[in-house]
Amino acid sequence: MTEAALTSDIAVGKGRSLWADAWRRLLSRKLVVASLIVIAVFVMVALGVYAGLIARDWSEPVGPRYQRPSLEHGFGTDFLGRSVWRKTLYGAKISLTVAFLASLISICIGLPLGAIAGYFKGWIDELIVWLFTTVNSIPYIILILAFAFVLQGKTLFGYPLRGISVVYLVIGLTSWVGLCRLIRGEVLKHRDRDYVMAARAYGCSRSRIILGHVIPNVAHLVIINFSLRFVSFIHAEVILSFLGLGVKGEPSWGVMIDDARQELYRGCWWQLAAATLAIGLLCLALNIVGDALRDALDPKLRQGLE
Amino acid sequence: MAKADGHILRVQGLKTYFPIRRGVFSRIRGWVRAVDGVDLDIPRGQTVGLVGESGCGKTTLGRTLLRLIPATAGTAWFEDELIFSANRRRMRQLRRQMQIIFQDPVGSLNPRMTVQTIVGEPLKVHGLAHGRALRQRVVNLLEQVGLSPGYLNRYPHEFSGGQRQRIGIARALALEPKFIICDEPVSALDVSIQSQILNLLADLQDALGLSYLFIAHNLAVVEHFCGEVAVMYLGQIVERAGSEDLYRNPVHPYTKTLLSAVPIPDPRTKTACQAPVGDVSDTSGPFTGCPFHPRCSLAQDQCRQECPQLREIGPGHFVACWRTE
Amino acid sequence: MVSYIIRRLLYAIPTILGVLLITFILFNLIPGDPSYDIAGKSASAETIAEIRRELGFDKPRFLDTEALSQGRIAAAFDSQFFNHFRNTLTLNFPRSLTSHEPIWDEIKSRAPASLTLAAPMFIGLIATSIAIALVVAFARGSWVDTILVFICVVGMSIPMLSYILFGQHYLAYELGWFPILGYESGMQAFKYIALPCLLGIASGLGSYVRFYRTVMLDEMRSDYVRTAFAKGLSSPRVLFKHVLKNAMIPIITTLVLSIPFLFLGSLLLERFFSIPGMGSYFLDAFNSRDFPVINAMVFTTSLLYVLGQLVTDICYALVDPRISLR
Repeated sequence: MTEAALTSDIAVGKGRSLWADAWRRLLSRKLVVASLIVIAVFVMVALGVYAGLIARDWSEPVGPRYQRPSLEHGFGTDFLGRSVWRKTLYGAKISLTVAFLASLISICIGLPLGAIAGYFKGWIDELIVWLFTTVNSIPYIILILAFAFVLQGKTLFGYPLRGISVVYLVIGLTSWVGLCRLIRGEVLKHRDRDYVMAARAYGCSRSRIILGHVIPNVAHLVIINFSLRFVSFIHAEVILSFLGLGVKGEPSWGVMIDDARQELYRGCWWQLAAATLAIGLLCLALNIVGDALRDALDPKLRQGLE
Repeated sequence: MAKADGHILRVQGLKTYFPIRRGVFSRIRGWVRAVDGVDLDIPRGQTVGLVGESGCGKTTLGRTLLRLIPATAGTAWFEDELIFSANRRRMRQLRRQMQIIFQDPVGSLNPRMTVQTIVGEPLKVHGLAHGRALRQRVVNLLEQVGLSPGYLNRYPHEFSGGQRQRIGIARALALEPKFIICDEPVSALDVSIQSQILNLLADLQDALGLSYLFIAHNLAVVEHFCGEVAVMYLGQIVERAGSEDLYRNPVHPYTKTLLSAVPIPDPRTKTACQAPVGDVSDTSGPFTGCPFHPRCSLAQDQCRQECPQLREIGPGHFVACWRTE
Repeated sequence: MVSYIIRRLLYAIPTILGVLLITFILFNLIPGDPSYDIAGKSASAETIAEIRRELGFDKPRFLDTEALSQGRIAAAFDSQFFNHFRNTLTLNFPRSLTSHEPIWDEIKSRAPASLTLAAPMFIGLIATSIAIALVVAFARGSWVDTILVFICVVGMSIPMLSYILFGQHYLAYELGWFPILGYESGMQAFKYIALPCLLGIASGLGSYVRFYRTVMLDEMRSDYVRTAFAKGLSSPRVLFKHVLKNAMIPIITTLVLSIPFLFLGSLLLERFFSIPGMGSYFLDAFNSRDFPVINAMVFTTSLLYVLGQLVTDICYALVDPRISLR
C-alpha cells in the first residue's frame, strides 16, 4: 500500500488517544460495565453517608436485639438492636475512604521516588532501591501491624492519630513499595527511548521531561496497580479494625466482623454475612475492573493477545 | 587550527568510551571504545554520509555531537562555538541550531502526545511561539514535510512508518536548525517509502540550506544522497572520500567488503562478494594495531602492531590502511 | 559466579541494617519512653526507673557526648541507638515485659507449633493450586476456564476472617467435624490443625491459582511450546514436560518467599484456633503493649525473608548461567 492510500484511510479529524482506546475497550465488556456500576453504587453510598443522607442514625436501635433478617428488619439487628443494614452502608464510607486515602498517600510516595530513581540512576537510585528493599523485606502484614501499633494514639503535626486516620496512614506508608519498584523499572526503560533523546536534543529541561514525557507514559501502571491494590487495602482495613488497631466507635466492616464473632454462638450469622457480602461484592467488582484495566491499558499484554 | 574554518561542524579527535563494571564492588574493569579518535568536517549546506555496520559507533558519534552522551575526549566546533564546553545557556542556544532525526519512527515519538504537541513542544520549550501562533507554526511545518494539517490532533500510533518519520522531521525542523543529524532515518522503512523520505530530506536541504550528517549502515542508500562519505569501523574512520570517488575507487579492504555487499540490479554482472573473515572484534580489552586486522585478508605484522592514521592518497580521498602504500 | 554470590551476600547487609533502622525508629524514636505506658498510671517512681533500666531507656539516645568528651570511646557508644543495633543483630533480645521470659527462648519454643500448622498448609495450598492451574491452563479459553477463574476471583474477594469465622462455627461448632480450638504437640496435633489448614488453603486458593494460571499461560504462549505442539506432542505431555518445568522458577520463588509466613504461621488462624505459635505470640504482644516482643518478631521475620531471597537468588544463579554475567 502506498503512503497516499494509507493517508486516505485515516479520516481527517480528532485522534484517538491510547486512553480513549482503553476506555472503549473497557466498555465493550458487559461484566466490566456491571462491575463499574457496582463500584459506582458503593461510592454513591459512601458519599451519601458523608452528606448525612444515608445511615445517619446507625447507632439508634431499630428493634429488639438479635432479630433475623426479615422484611421488617432488613438484614436483621445486632446485639444492641441496631440495624445491620445501616451499619453495612456506613461501612462503605470507611472502607472506601481508607482505600482511597491510602492509595493517595502511597502514590504520592511511590510515584515520585520511582520516577526519580529510574530517571537519575546513580547514587540516588541506589538509595531509593535500598529504602524499598528494606521496607519490602519486612513481611507486609507484620509491618502494617507494627506501624499501626506504634502510631496509634500519637499526634502528627498536632493532629491526633486515632481510628480511621491511623488505618489509612499506616496502609499508605507501607504499601508504596510495589508501585515504586514498578515505576522505577518502567522509567529506566523509557529514559533511553528515542523520544526522550529527542526531547533532550531540543533542550527540554529534566523536570519537563520527567513530568511531561515520562510520567504520562507510566501513568497507566499507577492505575492498574491501584485498581488491584484497592482490594488488599480494603482487606487490610478489615484486619486492622478487627484486631482493635484500627477504626473504633464507627461501624466499619472489620468492626462488624468483630461484633459478629460474639453473635455467631447465639446463631446470629447475619451481621457476618452482611459484612462478608459487602466486602466480597466490592472487591469482586474491583478485581474484575482491575484485570480489565490491565488488559486494556497494558500494550504489551495486548500485543500478546492479538 | 581553531574554529570550524568555514565548515558548519568540525570534529577533532573525538572519543566516547563507556565503562565496563565487573566484580564484587563494580569497579571499572575496562572501556568500550565506541568512538575512538574521529576527525570529521561537515561543509555548510552539504551532506556527509557516515557508514558502518551496527555497533561500529556511528550512532554514538551522532549522539555525542549533540551532547546526549558525554564525550570522553576531543573537540567539536559548531561554527565558531565549542560544543563540549558550552555552558547550560549557550548549549540551549546551540540546540536550536542542531537537531536529530531518529531511526525508529515508533520509539522516537511520544505515544501519549498528539502531533501538535510533539511538533510544537520544541517551540514551546524555547518560548518561541504560543497559542494561535504556535498552532500556525505547526501547521506550516506539517505542510512542509508533506502531511495534512488535519492530523494535528492525532496520535503517533495512528500513522504509518513513513508518516511518523515525517512527523519526526517536522519536529527537528521546528527550531529552524542549520544542521541535522539523520540517524539512519530510512533504515526502518519499506523500500518504496525510503526514497520518498530521502527526496523530502533533499528538498528541505535545498529550500532551507541545511547541512546533514547522514548515518547509515548501508552504502546503497548514501550513494546518491551524500557528497562525501566516511566509512567507520570499530569507532574509527577508516576511509573518507567524495561519494563518487569512494564508489568507483574504494581503497580500504573494509570499504571494498561493504561495497561488494551492495546488490547490483543487473543479473549479468557477477560480483564476488567478499564477506569479511570472522566476527567484529571485542574493543574492550587491550588492543593494538589496525582495528580491522583480525578480519582482514591482507593483514601483515605491521597491521597487528600499529594503528594506521588517515592519509590523503588522492584529492580529498583519505584512508587509514598500511597496505595501500 | 563466586563473585556474584559474594556480591549478593554483601547486598543483604545494608538491607538488614535498614530493617534495624526502621525498628529503631518505630520502637525507640516514635514512642519515646514507654515506661509510663507499661507501668500504668499509678506506678511508683522506682517501678518506672526499673522498667527504664530494663529497656535501656535510661541511656542517651544516640551518643553519650559526655563520655566521648572524656575520651571513653567504648562508653560513648553505650546508647539506645547502638545497643539496639548490637542486641538485635546478635539476637540478644531483652525479656518480655509480660511473661518476663527471654524472648528468644519463647520464639524457639513456639516455632514448632507454627511450623506444624504452616508447613502442611503451604504444601497443600501450592500443590492444590498448581493442580487446578494446570487444569485451567489445559482448558484455556473454554467455559471451564472462565468459570474457574471467576470462582477464583470471588474466592480472593472474600476476606480471610469470614472464611475462618464461618468455617470454625459451622464445621467445628455446629457439625462437630473438628475440634473447635486447642492444640497438642506430637501426633495429636494433626487433629487440631486439620481445620485451620483447610481454611488457610481455601482462603488462599483463589489468588494462588490465578497467579499460577498467568505464569503457565505465559509459558504456553512461548515459541518453544508452540513448537512442541506443532511437532505433535500431546497436550498433557507438553503441559508436564515443558510448561510445568519452566513455570517452576516462579513457583519456587513463591515458596521461598513464604518462609517467614511458615515461621509465623498464619497470624489469624493461630489466634482463632488458640494454637500457641509465633503468630499468636505476636498478636498477644499487641494487646499487652509488649514492645520488645514486637521488635524481636519484626526483626526475625525480616531476617528470614532476606535469607530466603538470598537463597532463591543464589539458586537462580546456579541454574541460570545468564545471571552471573550481570
